[in-house]
Amino acid sequence: MDVGQMQKRLLDYMNSLLKEGILDSQFAQLQQLQDESNPDFVAEVVNLFFTDSENLINDLSNALGQQNVDFKKVDSCVHQLKGSSASIGAQRLKNTCISFRKFCDEQNLQACLMCLQEMQQEYLLLRSKLDVLLQVEKQIVAAGGSIPIMEF
Amino acid sequence: MGTPLLWKVFGISGLARPRRNRAGSTSPGGRNRILRGDVEEEDQFQYAKTHCLSSYYSVFVARLAIMVMLAILIGLLTILTWHFTRSYTAKSLEGLAYGLRYELLQRPILRMWNILNSTVEITTAQVKLSEYVIRRYNKPVTQAEQVELYEMMKAVTWALFASHKALNAITINYRNGFVQAFHRDHRSNNTYYIYSDLSNYSISSNPNTEPLSSLEGWNDQTIRGNLSAVWYREPLDPISGEKIGKAGPILPDDLINIAGLSQVPDGVASWHVAVSKYSDSPLLSAALPVWDPSNKSIVAVVGVTTALYSVGQLMKELVEFHSGHIYLTSQPGYLLATSTNTPLLINTTKGPKLMMAADSQDSVIRSGAEWLHQTYGDNYPPSHEVHVENARLGNQHYYIDSFFLNLKRLPMVGVTIIPRKYILGKVEERAFKTLIILISASLCILVIGCLCILILTNGVSKEMKLRAELISHLDARRRAEASSNYKSQFLANMSHELRTPMAAVIGLLDILLCDDCLTNEQYATVTQIRKCSTALLRLLNNILDISKVESGKLVLEEAEFDLRRELEGLIDMFSVQCINHNVEAILDLSDDMPKLVRGDSARVVQIFANLISNSIKFTTSGHIILRGWCENLNSLNDDAKFSVEHKKSLRALKAKLKQHGRSTKKALKKDDRVILWFEVDDTGCGIDPSKWESVFESFEQADPSTTRLHGGTGLGLCIVRTLVNKMGGEIKVVKKNGLGTLMKLYLVLNTPTDSLEPLHREDFAQHGILVLLALHGSMGRYIMSRWLTENGVSALEASDWNGLTQTLRELFYPRSSDGHTNSFGLHHSSDVFRVDEAQNLRDHESRTLIIVIDIALLDLSTEIWKEQLNFLDSYNPRAKFAWMLNHDTSNSVKVELRRKGHVMVSKPLYKAKMVNILDTVIKERISSSPLRNKSTKEGDSHDCLELENIHFEGVSSDESDAMETANNADSRSEFPVEVNNQMCYRKNCQVNEFSCQTRQTLDQLADLEDFNHADEDPERRDLKTQEEKKLTSRCLGEQGNLGSGNSTANRDKSLEGLRILLAEDTPVLQRVATIMLEKLGAKVIAVGDGLQAVNALNCMKLADSGDDNRISEPIRIENSPPYDLILMDCQMPKMDGYEATKEIRKSEAGTELHIPIVALTAHAMSSDEARCLEVGMDAYLTKPIDYKLMVSTILFLTKRLD
Repeated sequence: MDVGQMQKRLLDYMNSLLKEGILDSQFAQLQQLQDESNPDFVAEVVNLFFTDSENLINDLSNALGQQNVDFKKVDSCVHQLKGSSASIGAQRLKNTCISFRKFCDEQNLQACLMCLQEMQQEYLLLRSKLDVLLQVEKQIVAAGGSIPIMEF
Repeated sequence: MGTPLLWKVFGISGLARPRRNRAGSTSPGGRNRILRGDVEEEDQFQYAKTHCLSSYYSVFVARLAIMVMLAILIGLLTILTWHFTRSYTAKSLEGLAYGLRYELLQRPILRMWNILNSTVEITTAQVKLSEYVIRRYNKPVTQAEQVELYEMMKAVTWALFASHKALNAITINYRNGFVQAFHRDHRSNNTYYIYSDLSNYSISSNPNTEPLSSLEGWNDQTIRGNLSAVWYREPLDPISGEKIGKAGPILPDDLINIAGLSQVPDGVASWHVAVSKYSDSPLLSAALPVWDPSNKSIVAVVGVTTALYSVGQLMKELVEFHSGHIYLTSQPGYLLATSTNTPLLINTTKGPKLMMAADSQDSVIRSGAEWLHQTYGDNYPPSHEVHVENARLGNQHYYIDSFFLNLKRLPMVGVTIIPRKYILGKVEERAFKTLIILISASLCILVIGCLCILILTNGVSKEMKLRAELISHLDARRRAEASSNYKSQFLANMSHELRTPMAAVIGLLDILLCDDCLTNEQYATVTQIRKCSTALLRLLNNILDISKVESGKLVLEEAEFDLRRELEGLIDMFSVQCINHNVEAILDLSDDMPKLVRGDSARVVQIFANLISNSIKFTTSGHIILRGWCENLNSLNDDAKFSVEHKKSLRALKAKLKQHGRSTKKALKKDDRVILWFEVDDTGCGIDPSKWESVFESFEQADPSTTRLHGGTGLGLCIVRTLVNKMGGEIKVVKKNGLGTLMKLYLVLNTPTDSLEPLHREDFAQHGILVLLALHGSMGRYIMSRWLTENGVSALEASDWNGLTQTLRELFYPRSSDGHTNSFGLHHSSDVFRVDEAQNLRDHESRTLIIVIDIALLDLSTEIWKEQLNFLDSYNPRAKFAWMLNHDTSNSVKVELRRKGHVMVSKPLYKAKMVNILDTVIKERISSSPLRNKSTKEGDSHDCLELENIHFEGVSSDESDAMETANNADSRSEFPVEVNNQMCYRKNCQVNEFSCQTRQTLDQLADLEDFNHADEDPERRDLKTQEEKKLTSRCLGEQGNLGSGNSTANRDKSLEGLRILLAEDTPVLQRVATIMLEKLGAKVIAVGDGLQAVNALNCMKLADSGDDNRISEPIRIENSPPYDLILMDCQMPKMDGYEATKEIRKSEAGTELHIPIVALTAHAMSSDEARCLEVGMDAYLTKPIDYKLMVSTILFLTKRLD
């Protein structure tokens, strides 16, 4: 596949992600930050995000599995996840976080658990999508092309 | 006495118990109700509930206590009353009764005594008489003598017997056995003489027999046992004693007892009770011996018998009068007399016998005797006196009293039995009635008292219930308010989430519109979408504004701003729209308006923007005037002003405004609060008076059908009123002469005292300037000319091209047009222009004429405008031209005008612009007067005017109207982007087609900005910046094409050399921010939480100071801080951003060190911002971090900008 095609594919893919609401303009900003001095910046941040998010989700499921749920702790975890997902532009995950926090305020355990489940799904979805995206990017870079930056 | 009290107490407790039970059952009931209603609020209600319950209990205890006390009191009163009334009567009666009883008993006994005494006396008398008679006939020897003696005795005895009617019998028994006796039968009332046959007795009986032997001589047997003795009885006349019948023989002893010697065995008197066959009552007989004169022997025995009948009679009488029973017994208990008619004797075979009292046929006497016998038996108390007050006989109570009469031979006992009823019956009955009445009365009082207490305490408990209910109501209200708040809060919180996508949509549409490859159809569609998006965004903003106000999150800023300039900018902005609508937009601010006021400029502008846009919406022709004037606060109090003033006609009002200004100027100096009055006056369709109030409600429009026609949600005026009220003002629709709506409002704003000084204004009058206003809009022209005239500048008016040329001709060629004077005057009759004034003006040729001319006066549709310009140019040296440009005035016209060196001002014309024009002209004249070189002057003025113009346009709007801002380096200097923007715009200005394209976009942007007046909001700023960024990027793109990229390089390293401490716990964010900053050339040190940030700062300082690293050592004051800036996340583990900032600021206290701290927060609320600033942060960025905004903020804070 030639570089141009790959670039187009990547753009299309990113557009579809945008349309689905999985990513937003923040991701483009991230991409803009990537340059020669930081060639793997996006991948680095995304991987950071994955590690961080996994930890947070684990913490969350632990916290919600407790006998007496410490909603304060849950709230702070969700808040953190919200911040990081907003930073990489994972819009849907961020929205889940927002509703999660609302239920947290209400101390509604049932709804929180549902949110957690939803959050895990969103996370897995995001992860798979981003993995693909990064894969394509890598290919483009390997083929010697530049990564197209999406305009949001 | 104790018993009734006890009974009462029990009765009361019995009464009280059900009540308490009832109370006990109602109170948990109430609690249940409360519990049911507010299950989730249990903890909140705990206090109130326990409070309620405890007070319930206390009420019941108090109730009970009061009742018991009342009961005891009433009981005591009752008992005491009863006791005293009863016992005293009873005691006195008792005493009386005792006397009565005593008397009753005493009298029969006395009678008895009398009877005994009289019997004794009679007996004694008989004995004495007998002795006398016997002595007289001493020793009768013969039968005759004997008979004579007997006769004598008979006569004497009869005399005695007859004289004593009560006597039953007198008997004389002689020694020789002869018996003489008188007998009175009371039943038959007969009197008999009874005697024995003389023949049987020997006269020769020995009279000298010894006393002792004489006893033997008495032969009783001869009398009693001797049946051979014959006795005779002869009836006698009871009065005369004559013999009335024949004597008949009877059996001895048959009729009466004849006392014999046996009854006087020792020779002394004796007594006994006897019974007789012929008498139904016992008889009392006494016997006494008759001694012979020598006193040695007994010659005869005299016996006297008396019936006790009279005693019984007396008793009967007494009893009849007093009731009760009396009886008399002998000591062994034989009845002697009773008060009843029952027989006293028993008939036995041996004849009648005495009867025991216990055998009496009278039941009372019998039972009384039995009772006595039972009680005392044989052991009578000494002297036999018994007083029993309450003996129960049968069914009744009786008094029983007995007395003992101790006669030697015949002891007797008297007993009275008196029914208690007789003496105490009435008293006891009365006492019983009294008791009943007292008890019932006290019961009544008790019941009433208890009822009173119940009612009283019920009132208290009801009040308590009400109070509890009130508490619950208050709580419910609070909750309702809270829930309504949640709604508003939710909306306010969602503001970011809602606006961001809209901004993205609009931005994307802008990009799309820039794209060349769109077909016309697509272009139209996208433009439509963009319009819709803008409308949606506007709606969102309105709703969010309202929700923000409702949730109480709207905090008004307090900053100085130039109100005049803001309003001018606003009018500038709207004038575009107005010109399109063919509506005149006029700003008419009085000169006394303070230049600077303190307040929230964005909100003030929003108020007027909403009002004006509202007016524009409904105004299709005519004008929209924004009037403003100032009023002293003191006159605010008379509210009547508001209502009075709106009645005045417009013209009168205007005249008044000036007066106001002058009169209040002095007062204003003392107080720095001013009332600013405003009117928005349009000539639209107007509002029905009945809707004047309701148009300010949410989602309310005067006429629902207008929504179809004009669109809109009806939120605008609601926001306006909320904002006005928040600024201490008021807004009303007031009556207006003619078509349209007149909205009147006032705001109370602070003003810096120095700004109250009247604006220094050049005295234009001395320059001798004449202004010719050649403008289309008559209203604006009229207002302007008035103002000019007031400021000493002569003003002429012309409304169209012809008028202008005529006026010019009139001014400059007066002589040649002398003939036209008339027609001139006629032609301009509509203008406020007088011919004589024109003549007057004509005389001063030296005056400077300024012609303010509307570009619309030129015929731009054809090429005629060039000729028109040339025509005007002919007046050029003597007149200065100031052109009022439309926003869409074509570039060629502008170029032409610029070439000619004319002043160009964009529409609309208002005072500040006018002042500017005048200033420019005056300056120009002064500078040009020494130099007569025309060409150089023109070139100079060209530049000068252009700059002036640009500057003016720039400052006139703070609304970042992109087109104008682009020309302005100062207005938004904190955004370096805009410098680029400006640069690129400047470059592109020469490129015509790009200019056009941008113009379009910019106009649309400006359109959008119309609704984003409140740019204090970070989100909005954010949005705006995004759009600017888009624009920039596009410009940059164009720039790239043009081959100029140096600005990018400039931007890239704008943070070169800065040391930034980043405190962020989320690794992703940390990384992103780090890269962002590093790309800009900054040196970034990232830490994970607030504590680390504080430590990093301290360590740095310690390391810098070098000598020791003890933490306790106070931090050295360094000349330069270790970091230039700190980016601080607000929510972090261990120590959050707020705490960390406080810590840092604390350590800085006392030094002049101040590290700028920028907050990073995921919340986009202004309250968060307030908190950030409160703890000492300098600025505030929202997540996700906006690149441009961050850079500009950092640059601003690190003072790199200047």
